[in-house]
Amino acid sequence: MTRADRIVIAIIAVAALVSWPVAVSAGPAEAMRVAIAGPGGVTTRDLDSDEVLTVVGARGDVVVRIADGAVAVTEADCPDHTCVRTGRISAPGSVIACVPNGVIVRIEGGDLDELDARVR
Amino acid sequence: MSSTHAFADGLRGAQTGLRGATLRVAYASALLATAVVLGLVESSLPPVALLPWLRIGLANIAVVVALMLCGARVAAFVSGGRVVVVGLLTGTIASPVFAMAAGGAALSLGVMIVLQRSLPSLSSVGLSAAGSVGHVFGQFLVAALVLGSTSVFVLAPPSVLVALAVGAATGLVAGGVVSRITKR
Repeated sequence: MTRADRIVIAIIAVAALVSWPVAVSAGPAEAMRVAIAGPGGVTTRDLDSDEVLTVVGARGDVVVRIADGAVAVTEADCPDHTCVRTGRISAPGSVIACVPNGVIVRIEGGDLDELDARVR
Repeated sequence: MSSTHAFADGLRGAQTGLRGATLRVAYASALLATAVVLGLVESSLPPVALLPWLRIGLANIAVVVALMLCGARVAAFVSGGRVVVVGLLTGTIASPVFAMAAGGAALSLGVMIVLQRSLPSLSSVGLSAAGSVGHVFGQFLVAALVLGSTSVFVLAPPSVLVALAVGAATGLVAGGVVSRITKR
């Protein structure tokens, strides 16, 4: 390792350390939201909220429960209850779909701190 | 390529029986093959606990060796060829992951070429460490484009620090390879 190596490495390391707080504060502290799309339009709630919503679907009511930073469909007027069996979702981009009722529950926003791909 | 003195002085004396363009093609091919194998080996390693995004950048060893022995053009051939071939072999070609790999490889190579020309006293360690940081930024730029969000840069400072250490380590290996090839 030459002196030039040490200097270049030191400069980059210092730049990274100095920019660390800047990068963190510039990052999104964006809260995650729950978007519930049904035949009657889209309703949006904070994922942090504590609420039970009844959405009017194409066949009947769909009950969406938001609690403890997660969403679940607890009841739905549909033959197979796939949406209820999906359980609770909490990760950005996760979806619960109740197809017969035309209701889609989706989590939006949030930090990109979850791994979804790895570069080889 | 005639300006690459290591090539003229070191490799011609390596008693390979090859000369000039033939020698260059032979080295470029051997280094590309090495880069592809190293890339495949690395892609088959399991993710490290707590640091699943950590990559050693083994393939960059071959790129650094190519840059130091044969110059920028051969290094570009090795780097670009490796990205495409590894992309084909791992099935990630034409995916966002492939775009990130290509962006990282391109910026890494660009940084190393510029630094080699502007700071000739840099050894393989400094070149590789800076190239590794370039790789991180190339990936982040592509990721920011793909996602349409700059939030990935929050991860930049810690990634840069890790990249420095890992890049210096692979640079050390590359330097060892270069000195063994040229001082025969």
